[in-house]
Amino acid sequence: MNEKRTLSILILDDEPIVSKRLKPSLEKRGYVVETFTESLEALKRIKERNFDIVITDLKMEGVDGMEFLTEVKKRSPETEVIVITGFATMETAKESFKKGVFDFLSKPFKLGEITEIIEKAEEKILSR
Amino acid sequence: MLRRWFNKILKREQERRVSFQEIFTLFQEILSLNNRTLDLIAEANDKLSGDYIFDRRYIETFQEETASLVHQLIYKLNLISPGKYQELNESFHRIESDIRQILAGRLLCPTDRYVLDYKEIAEKHLGEAAGGKNTHLAEIMEFLGITIPPSFAITTAAYFHFLQENGLPEKIEKIIDRWHQGETGIGEASKEIRSLILAARLPADIRKEIDMYLDAIRQAHPEKKPYFAVRSSAVGEDSEFSYAGQYASRLNVSRYRVIEAYREVVASVYSERAMEYRQSKGVLESEIAMAVACQQVVNARVSGVLYTYHPVHPEKETMEISSAWGLGAPIVSGRVLTDHFTVARRAPHEILELKVVRKQTALMPAGGKEKKEVPVPEKQQTIPSLTDGQLRGLAEIGLRIEKFYKKPQDIEFAIDEDGEIVILQARQLAMRGKTLPVARELAEILEKYPVISRGRGTVAQMGIASGTVFVLENDEDLDKVPQGAILVARYASPRLARVIRKVSGIITDVGAVTGHLATVAREFRVPTIMNLEHATEIFETGEEVTIDAQENIVYEGLVRELYHFSLAEEDIEETYEYRLLRRVLKKIEPLYLLDPKDPDFTPQGCRTLHDIIRFVHEKVVEEIIDYNYHHPHNMDAVSGKLDWKFPLDMVIIDMGGGLAPGAVGKGKKIVPEQITSQPMRALLDGIAHPGAWNNEPMSVDFGSFMSSLTRTMSAETMSPRELGQNLAVISDCYINVSLRLGYHFTVIDAYVVDNVKDNYAYFRFSGGVTDISRRSRRAAFIGEALARHDFHVELHEDLVEGRIKKMDRQGMLDRLNLLGILIGFTRQLDVKMVTDEQIAYYIEKLQELLENDNHE
Repeated sequence: MNEKRTLSILILDDEPIVSKRLKPSLEKRGYVVETFTESLEALKRIKERNFDIVITDLKMEGVDGMEFLTEVKKRSPETEVIVITGFATMETAKESFKKGVFDFLSKPFKLGEITEIIEKAEEKILSR
Repeated sequence: MLRRWFNKILKREQERRVSFQEIFTLFQEILSLNNRTLDLIAEANDKLSGDYIFDRRYIETFQEETASLVHQLIYKLNLISPGKYQELNESFHRIESDIRQILAGRLLCPTDRYVLDYKEIAEKHLGEAAGGKNTHLAEIMEFLGITIPPSFAITTAAYFHFLQENGLPEKIEKIIDRWHQGETGIGEASKEIRSLILAARLPADIRKEIDMYLDAIRQAHPEKKPYFAVRSSAVGEDSEFSYAGQYASRLNVSRYRVIEAYREVVASVYSERAMEYRQSKGVLESEIAMAVACQQVVNARVSGVLYTYHPVHPEKETMEISSAWGLGAPIVSGRVLTDHFTVARRAPHEILELKVVRKQTALMPAGGKEKKEVPVPEKQQTIPSLTDGQLRGLAEIGLRIEKFYKKPQDIEFAIDEDGEIVILQARQLAMRGKTLPVARELAEILEKYPVISRGRGTVAQMGIASGTVFVLENDEDLDKVPQGAILVARYASPRLARVIRKVSGIITDVGAVTGHLATVAREFRVPTIMNLEHATEIFETGEEVTIDAQENIVYEGLVRELYHFSLAEEDIEETYEYRLLRRVLKKIEPLYLLDPKDPDFTPQGCRTLHDIIRFVHEKVVEEIIDYNYHHPHNMDAVSGKLDWKFPLDMVIIDMGGGLAPGAVGKGKKIVPEQITSQPMRALLDGIAHPGAWNNEPMSVDFGSFMSSLTRTMSAETMSPRELGQNLAVISDCYINVSLRLGYHFTVIDAYVVDNVKDNYAYFRFSGGVTDISRRSRRAAFIGEALARHDFHVELHEDLVEGRIKKMDRQGMLDRLNLLGILIGFTRQLDVKMVTDEQIAYYIEKLQELLENDNHE
């Protein structure tokens, strides 16, 4: 984490607790973090700028997580997407990977699990 | 004719009787359900550690799974004893419907009592009934031993009952609807609701209870006429301090005006400000309940306010104290000039700054009647209203309260007529400094601090703590743990729970995050990291460290910035999902049914799902022992009596492969050598372990001692259950042993094969002949011994449950051997265990025993 470049992360989950818990922890690790609970607003934001990493839930009101990540990947294929969901099925996992997501994590998960995935994504991004 | 009829009845009886094979299969299924449910509950508790990210969906899924398993448990018990425990279903539905209501966002009062004393609130964790203000004071008194005024709480149960009896909920709802639809203004709506409440009759049963408590306070000091402060203590969906000042408080109320003041405080739920606030935050009206604190007014010589941090400049590491002569109201509201003191946070709390103002008037108690503002004598006007000793005393109390709540505190205090410090209120201090570090800057700051350990071990409770390390060398030192220490210990032993209120943080070499200590650490929010492997070698007593159990890092020295950051950060424990899971768990996890001899040990007595689980377990064990007693010669399986030098008086039933072929001969006697069941062999080897019997607790000769244990009373006076037929059901890879030796009762259930995943052992121990404290001591000893051998341990008074799973064959057999040793070793240990120190002593004795064996 000594690299000069600061990675940007967008988190989208309709349950506020996810952002509330993740944001300070990731900021403490030196990431720049933006959080959303409304998928429409997150969609608006990704049209304004690209993020290095996007963390999104799948099942949400409004724009569905799958749609959202499809849009993210379309606009910025470089962005690494991490999917977090409470309804993990083989199908959704397969579909997510087909769309090029970096990793897939089912809720509930430990803070350490997601930071590990983020660090791997970071490695990949920085090695480009 | 009669005979034919009789035979018919008999035949029907026999047909209806469930066979032993069937009972036993059900029994095993129940044990397995039992273990799965307890695992599920322990996992859910672990979610509260703060290390997990979970959402509402998880809570719902957890509740559904648990309910479904418990439902199956009840169903299976009813198959074994048809019709006997039908009421369990009613209890189950009652509890489940409560949980559904909680999930739907309704506040339920955890008790049906209208008034509670503070001791009860703290001990039984009745915060949801008593509200924040009451609960904080209750905990400060009960857990920290700090003086507060005589007080009691009027619960949310009283609030609901009061509104209900007057038909108010419907009326209020209508008014709120009209307001929401724009038909009435907020002012109008608020006024209408408040006048309804103020005009409502307080039900006689509530009134009676309040009177009782008021009388008790009066009688404690008959010479003085008491006055009361009646304060709001709401239970709401938002953290307490965001509601500060929205609700009413009434000070200096005479005994006969308490009821009136109560109504006024309740009516303030519908003050304009509170209604507006709820609307802006999207809080439902159904999520609000008002408990009320009724506190005797202290005849204060001095009153004041203490901040445990400077609210804008925490980096100054000071406490700020304001005070003036007389009663507190004018000081809190800022109506009089006050002295101001700045005191160092660090002991010995040096007084850094002192601003004394001229205090011309003070509010004083005036001869038992109304209080009035009186002039302060000239001489006292310009001297400090607090002495150095009082300032240090306040600083010390402030730190203790802050350590307990892990947040800076805003504390109202008084110095009473005897010069003693009395705490009137304590709540979280809102920090609003620009100098508080933000997360983004922290990353850089933290890099400068040397790290002792990173990412090692498992977080059992999140949080940040700084303090001086105390490495626990042996259990006798537990009493020497200094206040505020970071406790470093080899094992996450349940015994460490004893000092949980003294320590700031815990680190252990070994331990289960779903175990007893972890649960207690979560209850008291003590940051805890377990399984750090060589913690006891890495850390040294006396060194200062900072635990960041949020990121699982331990830093060398005091990392002030990190601590300051944590002070301002919103607690994850205060988020809605945490509160919801805690509330749901309250209906699931606590165990109230402990003693099977208690008249409340009934299906109706079950208050939580855990109670039901426990009840089913107890009953199914009883059923199987009863069956065996009543039908000893009616076995479907091969059975016989164990013929051994140790008179265990045990019947063994082989379900397959547990005995050598042809082992049971004519006399129905089995010798140990004929037992081929590996787990049974391991257990018996443990019981026969040479040292175990010669150990110190044995003073009588062995044979007579053993028989006194197995046959302590004459058979005629005892029911079959109490006499206890010691029973082992075995197969080549399985044992289920129920033992009653003297007055205590042991159950062992274990399965041992090559496939590690299937292996498990369950051990349960309860009872004894002595008083509860000695029995609990023995239970604590057993719990400790089990925890040291990787068991997941739960302790409830004299009941110990240990579970272990997924260990390889040899590991399992070693542990069964240990259980055997424990059975012998602990027979009458409760009698010997007069003091807590003996727990450590016997742990060492046991350890010696195990080590001696290794050398042989």
